[in-house]
Amino acid sequence: MADQKKEPGVLRELFNTFFAKHWPVWVGGVTLGLLNILLFAVKSPWGASGGINNWGENVFKLIGIETFQNASPTGTNLYAMLCLILVAGAFVGALLSKEFALRIPPKGELVKGFIGGALMAIGATLGLGCTIGSFFSGVPALSGGAIIFTIGLFIGTIVALKYLIWEMEKFPKISSGKSFTFLAVSENNGKWQVWLGWIVAIAVLILAYKVAGTNGVLAWFIISGLLMGLICQRSRFCIVKAFRDPFMTGESDGSVGVMAGLVITLIGFTAIKFFGIGAGETLRAREMTWVFDQFWLRGLIGGFIFGLGMTVAGGCAVGTLWRVGEGQVKLWMAALGFLIVSPLSKLYIVPAIVDIMPHTMKFKNYLPDYIGYAGAFLLVLAIILIWYVFVKWNEKTGRFSAF
Amino acid sequence: MEIKSTLDCKGLSCPMPMMKLAKAFKELNAGDVLEMIGTDPGTKSDLPKWCEKTGNELLEEGEVESGVFRFLIKKK
Repeated sequence: MADQKKEPGVLRELFNTFFAKHWPVWVGGVTLGLLNILLFAVKSPWGASGGINNWGENVFKLIGIETFQNASPTGTNLYAMLCLILVAGAFVGALLSKEFALRIPPKGELVKGFIGGALMAIGATLGLGCTIGSFFSGVPALSGGAIIFTIGLFIGTIVALKYLIWEMEKFPKISSGKSFTFLAVSENNGKWQVWLGWIVAIAVLILAYKVAGTNGVLAWFIISGLLMGLICQRSRFCIVKAFRDPFMTGESDGSVGVMAGLVITLIGFTAIKFFGIGAGETLRAREMTWVFDQFWLRGLIGGFIFGLGMTVAGGCAVGTLWRVGEGQVKLWMAALGFLIVSPLSKLYIVPAIVDIMPHTMKFKNYLPDYIGYAGAFLLVLAIILIWYVFVKWNEKTGRFSAF
Repeated sequence: MEIKSTLDCKGLSCPMPMMKLAKAFKELNAGDVLEMIGTDPGTKSDLPKWCEKTGNELLEEGEVESGVFRFLIKKK
């Protein structure tokens, strides 16, 4: 009997496959890409900043600010729910793998989290999108503006990384000092985390089931959010990491994982757009989905500011959300900064800047309109390939790495 | 084995632990052993990968208390 106990059962082995170790980032990239294609087939692609903006509007509505009384309730807003359930999914992933803990960093880090979140909000509202909407979904959606937004993201990331290194050298106190960890468990104790993980997962599925009768699309978004949060947490899927690490330690796994997801999504999105698959819209409406008025200056400035913010915060839009679910309090501050500043930026900062911009600097650029579907597909594929060659070459030579 | 220095990264999240580690290693001599303590689950996958890439040797990896990881790394 004692010997039998040591051998894990088949179900335990299956559980360990998912929750004993982190997944390779590319597994996360590919599965997120597939879920993203399904979201588009059912309704429209993955996005994050719009959902967080809705949270902010509802907070302002709750405290009685007149301007926001018309905000759509979070409970029925597809993207607000997708973001919210994504946090729950990451919470489930962290609990089932016993990685959940409230991790409170030194004060300086909390401030950086808030500032990073606020910058992301300004970047997202100005540039129309975040690392998901205007990168992970936008680039495969064959949007020229998304490619420009991405260039802005890169520049912002590099500038902010230089800042972080400078800060670490000159003001090491900002990132050191008293920190606290609560509710952490280890391998041999804390079974409560696993139980709680199952309870939360089942509760979300019951919610999806209840919603399905009246709003099938919302139910699908809830299920996708749960899976996406779980996948992100287990694979530590992070777009800041993908952009930053080649310039930091030179490591490329995070970048390659994101590229794998981009290629899968590119194939799916191109097919959906080319054939006009899904949701009773005209072919043109389907083609223009996730193509925003951001080409080129609007996207470039927005992407740059977003890149600064996500690097200082240590999490992009989705990276922030799943780390919130894992209990990283720095990212709680980032989410708070994001949701407070986003509606305000949309109302006061964006009009002041965008209104003086000529139309030629903020229009919808759909690449197939200029170079055809084959041309657009190959262009995006070539950009991903060049990025791949760069990160791999840099990993070997350390040419652009800071350390 | 003599531990040359200890790097406390408790409470910090990505990228601060890996940045601090890379910086601390610049100031060590070949053969020195550094102890790193942290709470970010990301470090558990980032640190071994970084060691593999840089050739520094990961001597020990464990948990000192619930949720607090400890790594011993020897500089190449």
